[in-house]
Amino acid sequence: MTLVARLRELLESGDRAVLFTVVEGEGLGSKVLVIEGGDTVGEGVPAAALEQFDELVRRGRNGIVQADGAKVFAEWYGPPPRLLVYGAVDTAEALAQAAKLLGWTAIVADARATFLTPERIPSADQLIAKWPEDAIVEVAPDHQTAIVVLTHDDKFDEPALIAALDTEAFYIGALGSRRNQERRRERLLEAGVTEEQLARISGPCGLDIGADTQAETALSILGEILAVRAQRPGGPLREAKQRIHAEVA
Amino acid sequence: MKEILPEVEAWREAGEKVVVATVVATRRSAPRPVGTSLAVSESGKMYGSVSGGCVESDVYSNAMEVMQTGQPKLLHYGITDDQAWEVGLPCGGEIDVFVEAVE
Repeated sequence: MTLVARLRELLESGDRAVLFTVVEGEGLGSKVLVIEGGDTVGEGVPAAALEQFDELVRRGRNGIVQADGAKVFAEWYGPPPRLLVYGAVDTAEALAQAAKLLGWTAIVADARATFLTPERIPSADQLIAKWPEDAIVEVAPDHQTAIVVLTHDDKFDEPALIAALDTEAFYIGALGSRRNQERRRERLLEAGVTEEQLARISGPCGLDIGADTQAETALSILGEILAVRAQRPGGPLREAKQRIHAEVA
Repeated sequence: MKEILPEVEAWREAGEKVVVATVVATRRSAPRPVGTSLAVSESGKMYGSVSGGCVESDVYSNAMEVMQTGQPKLLHYGITDDQAWEVGLPCGGEIDVFVEAVE
């Protein structure tokens, strides 16, 4: 099998891997592909570069590795970030669409199976008809997963948020008016959630861009998710002091 | 190289030689993130990019050279120098582009 075909397989399987290429120094052009828990294909790349595999996979970022006087380019392969939406409301479809535009995996869950149909949510990669705790256990959110809770119903939203706080999700958002946020806050505190945990919840979620329609709301929420992921404030670039392009882990 | 794999594979299956140019390092403001690639086929088809169009034509001629020699190359582009008519990046960034034939 050619290397290109092998890389294509990786994109489909979502397996984590690093493709090392010597771009300067001895062995110029040599390539080694290391697949997590699997094969190592190719030769000619300094061992000192290959030894950094674990760190490169964890960081999930492309870059140059210096090794024995050679410059080695490391290209990271792995699953795209995931967006889990709990609540099969209209905004869920708009969010799934927007996430797909970014190349992310979109998952929508709701206990109410009548709402959770491919006709209503055609853009989701996966639909999970389960109660919040079970749905979140099934998805097993990691540090590359964002969770948005939008059922507008306390009996789903609260357990969903509590379960979400128990994961490594890099973003947890909840829709709702300011008044509802305050009420929810009280109830979560009563349920034993700490202030520190509450600080992880973006509620009301989204950036302040005057979003009105479902699509606009989705864009506002995805905008905040990207900003959180890049640890950026999410304001106008003309007022930003940092370099424009982020390096996202 | 990720985002250009389907095209590279299709061109290879059609029996064409393919050269890939990849942004392997950037300094300061750079138009495309590290890892972004431009693929060039033997018949001259292009897919993807390595900048906002500022250095593509120079990368293309280097790619055609690599197509002939089979020898990979590391290219460096800096700030545009109007005096020297150099190919460069008006945005003030610098990029390193690795050009290689695809096996």
